[in-house]
Amino acid sequence: MDEAAGDLKQALPNVCDSVQLHVEVHQKSNSTSKKEDIRLSVLKLLNRHNIVFGDYTWTEFDDGFLNNNVQSVSIVDTELKLKERQPINLSKCNLSIHIFHLNDEGPSTENLEEENENIVAANHWVLPTVEFHGLWESLVYDTEVKSHLLDYVMTTLLFSDKNVDSNLISWNRVVLLHGPPGTGKTSLCKALAQKLTIRLSYRYRYGQLIEINSHSLFSKWFSESGKLVTKMFQKIQELIDDKDALVFVLIDEVESLTAARSAFRAGTEPSDAIRVVNAVLTQIDQIKRYPNVVILTTSNITEKIDTAFVDRADIKQYIGPPSAAAVFRIYFSCLEELMKRQIIYPRQQLLTLRELEMIGYVENNVSRLSLVLKEIARKSEGLSGRVLRKLPFLAHALYIQCPNVTMAVFLQALSLVVDKQFEERKKLADCF
Amino acid sequence: MAGPGRQERAADLLPTEPVEAPMVTPELAAGRGGSSAAAFHCPQGPAGRAPGCRSVSVAFPGPVTQQGCCHFACELLKHVLYQRHQLPLPYEQLAYFCRRALPRQPQDGDAIKKKPHPPDLGSSRKCQQLLMELEGVFRHLEAMFNLTLVPRVLILLGGNAMSPKELYEINLEGISVGNAEESLQTPSCVRKLFHSLFLADVFSELQAVPVMGTIVMVQGHRDCGIDWFRPKLNYKVPARGRKLTVNLSCGGNSSTNPSTQQGVTSAWDNYIWFQAPVTVKGFHE
Repeated sequence: MDEAAGDLKQALPNVCDSVQLHVEVHQKSNSTSKKEDIRLSVLKLLNRHNIVFGDYTWTEFDDGFLNNNVQSVSIVDTELKLKERQPINLSKCNLSIHIFHLNDEGPSTENLEEENENIVAANHWVLPTVEFHGLWESLVYDTEVKSHLLDYVMTTLLFSDKNVDSNLISWNRVVLLHGPPGTGKTSLCKALAQKLTIRLSYRYRYGQLIEINSHSLFSKWFSESGKLVTKMFQKIQELIDDKDALVFVLIDEVESLTAARSAFRAGTEPSDAIRVVNAVLTQIDQIKRYPNVVILTTSNITEKIDTAFVDRADIKQYIGPPSAAAVFRIYFSCLEELMKRQIIYPRQQLLTLRELEMIGYVENNVSRLSLVLKEIARKSEGLSGRVLRKLPFLAHALYIQCPNVTMAVFLQALSLVVDKQFEERKKLADCF
Repeated sequence: MAGPGRQERAADLLPTEPVEAPMVTPELAAGRGGSSAAAFHCPQGPAGRAPGCRSVSVAFPGPVTQQGCCHFACELLKHVLYQRHQLPLPYEQLAYFCRRALPRQPQDGDAIKKKPHPPDLGSSRKCQQLLMELEGVFRHLEAMFNLTLVPRVLILLGGNAMSPKELYEINLEGISVGNAEESLQTPSCVRKLFHSLFLADVFSELQAVPVMGTIVMVQGHRDCGIDWFRPKLNYKVPARGRKLTVNLSCGGNSSTNPSTQQGVTSAWDNYIWFQAPVTVKGFHE
């Protein structure tokens, strides 16, 4: 038995011994230096700093070459792999360095030219793009949603690379994120696409993200809708044909597409709509054969989605409203930003939840503000991420209105605005 | 005051040559949009290899100047924009109307004589914007050509840089660059270039397209120091979409061929793609 375990361990190398650490290097947009040169300089930099605690970002360098060519060097996503915040010895780690340039053009649009109409059927980004920079870090989840998703796609690519027979083991490259509105499903899809493009830059030159407007696939002409879907996917197919591109297809609020079949049975949906659903399903089956495509879908109401679609999704991840701990982290990042921009002034050191736990939640001069924040986070539970991210803004707008304030005053305002949120919610609920 | 056409200008520059230059736009303008049934088939030019993929080769009988190369690229850009319906009028005409529309003071006599063709066309905000952007592109292209050897220029219509709908490639790798004295006259080269394009009849079979964005990419040396164009280290010329390659080369005994100038071929590694930071958005009347 032990022997077998030993064999197994050999077959799965470096699981425990060394940690895979990802270093993202954001190359300046005007830098023309070779990746190899930058890699060498970054390695030198990392050699000088042996031990880091968790994620860390350098934006200023002693090295003139790095200063000229690199915006930032970040050690990222350590919390996804390491449960505890612990010192990381860089020299022992398996470092993978990802160097990327951001595209600064906005999305382009794909039209399905139907006669003279120009319906924007899809938005189309070349990744990595400036727009999604920092989005991944801004998303806070309790469960290991982010690492699951990353690992899922990595496995997908591994299986494709090793030519696993998809008739024997099938995987669909379809991810379905569902949950209440405002929990960051769409943002997570976009951030995931960006992240993967950066992570896989050694294999794919660039990423393409196509966000399909599902409603635009329904034609005003009876019987034409199915054709529109086919046309849409033909365009996607063209993108997939470029083997250097990693293609992400994002279908937001997929229930609007797939709810149709059950409604059809109930007799409330015209037969044309069902053609759309069927066309989408067959098209997804078509493109899932290609190794360089990932289909990301989101939905607010899972019950309404066609089972034929749900079955096709490999990962069905529920994304709920953030817990108190996640709320704390969201507020924490908001306050950090406000201190950086000197709206909250002077700068105050806040303690993280883990640091609070270590001192046993004892109230003293250092921990007082953090404990207030923890209390606010506790009572904010139940609010969605979208609401939470705008509360600091509302707090300032409603209760502060001056260019800079102290942390204590700001936290008071934040607390008031949270109460107000719940009041408003109650009023809305009473209306119905 | 120059007229709207290029005819007069070309004639100004080359007084010895007759004005029957075939490249001038009015004739091509008639053929735009596939309305002319004149079945022009390129007698010597190569036919398209694959559907939607064509090439035209032009060999100049001697070296040309670096400024000349820049001029070819700019003229082709103007031509493509007009032929592919991104400009309602040829660039020169549009620029002319625009310039006339800009200073609002009435120029007695001169303004009245001109036909009041599109009174609002040249002055429209879209048009001004477009011309300004294009002028910027031309200006910076010139700077680029002064700083570095440019092996290739791309004009990309629609979509994005990675997957355009139409792609026009100007390949200058075969060009031998000479100094002003030993080089051919640029206007006559432009004329030859457009003559070949006209004979190859590359635009007439294309369907009309809606207004799109146009992206210009230039290949240049990594260390050329241009800061307006954005380096795209990962860029690769896309295979998707309709493609027209214009191969420019110099016959005769060439002295400064790009590849020999660079010594070894591995030096091409240092030539990377740069993208113009503006997307030129066309407009219709």
